[in-house]
Amino acid sequence: MIFKCKNCGGNSVYSPEKKMMYCPFCDSENSDERQYEHAQMQLCPNCGGEVTYTEHTSALQCPYCDHYIILDERVEGAYTPRKIIPFQYSKEMVKNLIREKFKKCTFAPTDFLSEVRLNTITGEYIPFWMYDYHTRCLFQGEGVKRRSWVSGNTEYTEHAYYHVVRDMSIEFAGIPADASLKMPDGIMDLLEPYNYKELVPFQPEYLSGFLGEKYNMTSDLIESRAHAKMESSAAAMLQQSITGYSSMNAANRSITAPAPDTEFDLLPVWVYRYTYKDQEYPFYVNGQTGKIIGKTPVSSAKVWAYGATLWACLTAIIVMIGYLLL
Amino acid sequence: MENDFKREARKQYLHFFRFWFIIVGILLAVTILVTVVRIITENNMKRENAQAPTERVYDYADMLTDEEEEKLRQLIAEKEAQIGCDLVLVTICQPVEGREAQETYGYRSTSWEQNMQDIADDFYDNNCYGFDAPYGDGALILDNSYEGQSGTHLSTSGKVFARFGDYEIDQALTRVDQYIESDPYRAYSACINYIADKMSGHGNSIGIVVLLAVFVPIITAAIFVATHLRSKEGQKTTTATTYIAGGKPVMNQQRDDFIRKSVSQRRIQNSSSSGGGHSSGGHGGAHRSSGGHSHGGGSHRR
Repeated sequence: MIFKCKNCGGNSVYSPEKKMMYCPFCDSENSDERQYEHAQMQLCPNCGGEVTYTEHTSALQCPYCDHYIILDERVEGAYTPRKIIPFQYSKEMVKNLIREKFKKCTFAPTDFLSEVRLNTITGEYIPFWMYDYHTRCLFQGEGVKRRSWVSGNTEYTEHAYYHVVRDMSIEFAGIPADASLKMPDGIMDLLEPYNYKELVPFQPEYLSGFLGEKYNMTSDLIESRAHAKMESSAAAMLQQSITGYSSMNAANRSITAPAPDTEFDLLPVWVYRYTYKDQEYPFYVNGQTGKIIGKTPVSSAKVWAYGATLWACLTAIIVMIGYLLL
Repeated sequence: MENDFKREARKQYLHFFRFWFIIVGILLAVTILVTVVRIITENNMKRENAQAPTERVYDYADMLTDEEEEKLRQLIAEKEAQIGCDLVLVTICQPVEGREAQETYGYRSTSWEQNMQDIADDFYDNNCYGFDAPYGDGALILDNSYEGQSGTHLSTSGKVFARFGDYEIDQALTRVDQYIESDPYRAYSACINYIADKMSGHGNSIGIVVLLAVFVPIITAAIFVATHLRSKEGQKTTTATTYIAGGKPVMNQQRDDFIRKSVSQRRIQNSSSSGGGHSSGGHGGAHRSSGGHSHGGGSHRR
């Protein structure tokens, strides 16, 4: 489907600033109308140009007429996302965020923050599986509290032994794991956390103006990632609850959880794929919180120029001061 | 577009180093100014003391040829103007030790060292030497070549006294010792050059400046480059409680039951230590001359 403006026939898109559908061509708000529902999408239904996409794509942009196309069958049925966090940051806002964050990166190539390059950023809805765990932590062990004091010229050391028992229930809600093959897992983890209070029921309107994917794999296939996050968090909680001991000898320690409840949601990410000397430096921005993840490329020419200049200035200053003082 | 980026890069570069360039520029201007002033005023320090004689080289022991004496006078005149200190050389050949010498010459004591010091100080004071004022800034080298009692004494006064510690005095006298047997002229001029070097502040300080100028910029530039090269993808911003509903776990059971305890003891052995240190600076061999003026100094006996 394509969202068309009733007033001018332009492509209506979701505006993060206005938080509603908006036509950038005639400035109409909420003037959208679904067209070309369930149409064949080998060709753009708007301009007839050939469009290409992968097996997971659910939303794309026609390279000829720039209309945003949503593939109905990939946001329906089993592929219907339960909830979505709509983009809170618009393209302009994200460009400013990136400029602000990296303006101090002296050695980044000059065009890194240029308007031309920054305009290539794309807003993408990433498929996520959310896992809810009902976790139980059990612990039994022997703890030692060591205390020492000095009286006269004798040092006394006391070891007190305790039987320690902990039984904890932890409710985990919404541990995310991205269900997209093209997104690096570690990077997606660094983009967390999202504020789930802004999760709203899914509507295809939110996809208009952005790219999107359905989940690339089912929830069971990547459950281990969420499980690992759950386990390390539970272990930390357990650790925190046992304090005041000099040493602890665990006799029994277990973290268990029955199969989790899962939910398929879409979360917003801005992607800036910057290429420098044939190498890609991808930057990811949390579309809700604005958190930026990515490594800036380094221009070796700049490193040498700046390092050498600093060296020359310092040498000149020291030599001249030395000359003036002596 | 490429040219735009190049222009932008140049702009960023100049912006980044603007304060550095300004500092270097100002320093350069000051340096040029100071250099010009120094060239004009160099070797031209103004002598304030008119009471002292103009003679600086008293070669009573005839250690030097007339030609060498003249060369020494020129050297001394040049150095005096640079450092603003009177430099006097006195060579003698007379006994300065023992009761007989004391009676003959009316010395204060029978000690070689004491008498050398007295002769040097008195010669300086009686002639009212001192660049800034009588008994003021300067130094006197007294060389005695009397057989069995030969040696050199350096008497310091005023700012030479303030600057010269035992170490510097020893170094100055060592210059004399090194060459006196083979070439007295070289011995005295080396000693005078050493004093002038020390008093003009060059010598050690130049080494320190060179050292600073070589290492500080290299290290700083390396640190600068290293810190800017280091780039991280991002900080983790989730915590252990991020995905816990309600923010904390529910504790079903929590027990810490005391079982038993044991106490052990150990004797403590006391130990203590102490240390000492050295210090150095100016005012080496400080004393007061018979005329009541402050001098410093020291001797090397051969």
